Amino acid sequence: MQSLGDFKLPDFFNYPPYFTLQPVRETKEKQILMWKELILKYCKSQKIFIIGLEEEFPLFSNQKIQRSLNNEAREAFLSALVSEGRAEWIDRGHKRCLILWRSIQEWANYILDFVRENGLETDVMTIEDIRCGIETRGSDLERIDRGVLMQALKILEQKGKAAIIESSSADTGVKFAA
Amino acid sequence: MRRKPGISGLKSAAAARDQFRAVGENVARVKADLMKEQLATFRSQLEDFARKHKNDIKKNPTFRSQFHEMCAKVGVDPLASNKGFWAELLGIGDFYYELGVQIVDICMLTRSDNGGLISLHNLRLLVCQKHKTGRESVTEDDCLRAISKLKILGSGFEVISVGKKKFVRSVPTELNKDHNEILELAQIQSYVTVEQVERKLSWSSGRATDALKTLLEEGLSMIDNGHVDGISRHWFPCVSTSSAVVEE
Repeated sequence: MQSLGDFKLPDFFNYPPYFTLQPVRETKEKQILMWKELILKYCKSQKIFIIGLEEEFPLFSNQKIQRSLNNEAREAFLSALVSEGRAEWIDRGHKRCLILWRSIQEWANYILDFVRENGLETDVMTIEDIRCGIETRGSDLERIDRGVLMQALKILEQKGKAAIIESSSADTGVKFAA
Repeated sequence: MRRKPGISGLKSAAAARDQFRAVGENVARVKADLMKEQLATFRSQLEDFARKHKNDIKKNPTFRSQFHEMCAKVGVDPLASNKGFWAELLGIGDFYYELGVQIVDICMLTRSDNGGLISLHNLRLLVCQKHKTGRESVTEDDCLRAISKLKILGSGFEVISVGKKKFVRSVPTELNKDHNEILELAQIQSYVTVEQVERKLSWSSGRATDALKTLLEEGLSMIDNGHVDGISRHWFPCVSTSSAVVEE
């Protein structure tokens, strides 16, 4: 089986017609389903948040069989994720896509669990601390997308589990509640 | 024998007929008895044989197919009923019953990949994957037997031959001769192009395009426009081995 780094690619990745958006409805639905799963799995394993439609992305082409997805196919697969709430278009032109391999709500729960397990309640952390700090190293919070993190923190704030401290001079901070 | 004239003549003729009939009936009865006896002996010996080799029949696929061959030659179908002494004796009915269920399962699972047409070879591989124990325990012959029993249900499972390969069809799509010829051609490279079909089968362009279009619409093929030469290729998942593996 072929692999990208430590990621094992599914068999269909080596089957050329999967790189052409299929004209027949049932076949296309199956094709989209398989690509959706692959994209989510890959982004989760590599902790990728943003896919640029016109940029290089390891899944968009397969050198071994010399096939690559055209823009129409890329947009079809990502749109399918967006319609399921597993992704969001960042721009109106549908050129950049945020992949939510965890939903915002799931991220909020993850953060809460992480804070509890590591005894970070009542601490004040900056956004940069969370994304690049020593406490979160090795966890899924390391290098988390800033937008995703902010949305998740807002959910926690609404539930009274965190307080976001905006500051004009320094990085935004957050204080978790016990 | 010439009939004598008069009443007595008629009577004696009737008596002779009766005697002949009696003798004839006797002979027939003796013959039937003998046959019955022979059949009983044969049956008991076949039973003895089956009992003795029960485990071989269950475990050894070669032995199993030879046993079936032997039964077929003497006109006994051990799978005809699940209630007969064969089933009780061997549990062989259950074996094919379960196999049949698994085959239906696999055909359903892979239908969206292959459009409801799966090669017997791939089907057997998938069945063996399900049988975690004993990878060699199910043969293509067993699969064919199980499928032939599925026909009773009117489930539309059918075995078709394309070239040298056998395929199991689980959708009611009728494949005509043109489709079969394309499938046979596709076995060489796993795909065909319109140009290949026209050249190798000496067809007109319209005939090739029409047949390929039908196969595409039936979900039996997938189109590939991604080759650098710009020529569209029609791929047939049912003849390729890589896409046969169902992801668990």
